[in-house]
Amino acid sequence: MVRINRELCTGCENCLPYCTVEAISIKEGRAFIDPSLCTECYVCVRNDICPVGAIEKTPIEDFIHRFQHVISDPTETTAETGVPGRGTEEAKTNDVTGRYKKGEVGVCIDMGRPGVGVYLRDVEKVAMAVAAAGLILEGPEETPLAQLMENIKTGKIRSDLPNVRFLSIIIEGKCPIGVLPKVLQALKEVEDKIDTVFSLGLATVVDENGYSPVLDVIKELNLPEPVRGKVNVGLGRPLAAI
Amino acid sequence: MTHSLHRSGDMESLRGDYVWLMYQAKGINDTNIKEKAEEFIAVAEAVGSENWGDVKSGPKVILTVEEIKKRVTNQSRLRGVFTRKEQLVEFLRKIKEKNLGLSVIISGLLKETIEACKEAGLKPHTINFSLGVWGKKELLPKEDILAITTMCGHHMISPRLVEKIADQVKKGKLSPEEGGRLLALFCPCGIFNQVRAAKLLAGKITS
Repeated sequence: MVRINRELCTGCENCLPYCTVEAISIKEGRAFIDPSLCTECYVCVRNDICPVGAIEKTPIEDFIHRFQHVISDPTETTAETGVPGRGTEEAKTNDVTGRYKKGEVGVCIDMGRPGVGVYLRDVEKVAMAVAAAGLILEGPEETPLAQLMENIKTGKIRSDLPNVRFLSIIIEGKCPIGVLPKVLQALKEVEDKIDTVFSLGLATVVDENGYSPVLDVIKELNLPEPVRGKVNVGLGRPLAAI
Repeated sequence: MTHSLHRSGDMESLRGDYVWLMYQAKGINDTNIKEKAEEFIAVAEAVGSENWGDVKSGPKVILTVEEIKKRVTNQSRLRGVFTRKEQLVEFLRKIKEKNLGLSVIISGLLKETIEACKEAGLKPHTINFSLGVWGKKELLPKEDILAITTMCGHHMISPRLVEKIADQVKKGKLSPEEGGRLLALFCPCGIFNQVRAAKLLAGKITS
């Protein structure tokens, strides 16, 4: 965990703008890290921003703070998935994994992003809404968030964790494209019930022009046509059957 | 992970921003990565990738090419950024010729990236489409700040840091290029586009 050494801190305020979640403030003339806001992303310690070295790392001894750190610091790897950071390989290796077959769509709900942060109580609202709408959530061997769920089928998070905060954490799942309208409708309904933001990505196999029936669903629901995307160009080998 | 997918900004500035990623799939084609990564590095350097790196090693804006190469392991996943579509096309052509068998992903405006695939003789396989930001959007910083912070998709660059750097640029204490480079130091992956950031910093960023 990160703490301020008050003996060393001069209260110069240099560290304040670097904190990704505004968890650092000045109290009684010295910097203070609010533990309820800090996500253990380690930007402040990794980049050596304190001129007198007053920001210190202390050993993380409990599971949830360790988890919080691994998810919020992209230089870390989640042991269970083997993937650095917070999610799966999703579309990035779909040419060789075949994670998403033709007729399926992967839904990547990046909770707290961009830069707002998220409490698990809001993650649970969204996860339960999309699970009820038919999204099959990725399991604990695929995505870190599932390790915090007491029920992977419903998206229910462990009841002792609602106030744990992350810089961002991803809800991932997939469903037949025919179920996607219900999932998107559920997201439209739940977006007004959360105290944060999320960025949404839909991963699917496409034709040579980048077309997928997923684009028709987006249009039918009057959602803005996507202008940005992450394109797997199909060079991975061996190619998976899709 | 979707750290390169949801970059923000107007269409004109997004036209100067293309992310590339090299990926092995766990348990399928994740052996002999170090030598393949060196091939990717050679192509990225030949084409002039402005920034690139490996999240476990660090980005080119901090380390030398040789230092990154020494640190590359079989777990490394290289990522980087181009500022021109021509670079992207050339990169794809050269990587296709090398036939390394790793997944290659490009992230940017769909019209441009799909055209780049065609020009390089490739067919898109899978796309992760960005549907933008949902929820309580009033919590977001202003769009001109967001255009910079979202270039580190892991959000290691805070809005307040962008405001601080923009203020120093405005006061003439830093050039826009110096400001862009300073911000790039905080993105460990190497996908922060310091060239685009400099252009944005030279514009009107308001705190």
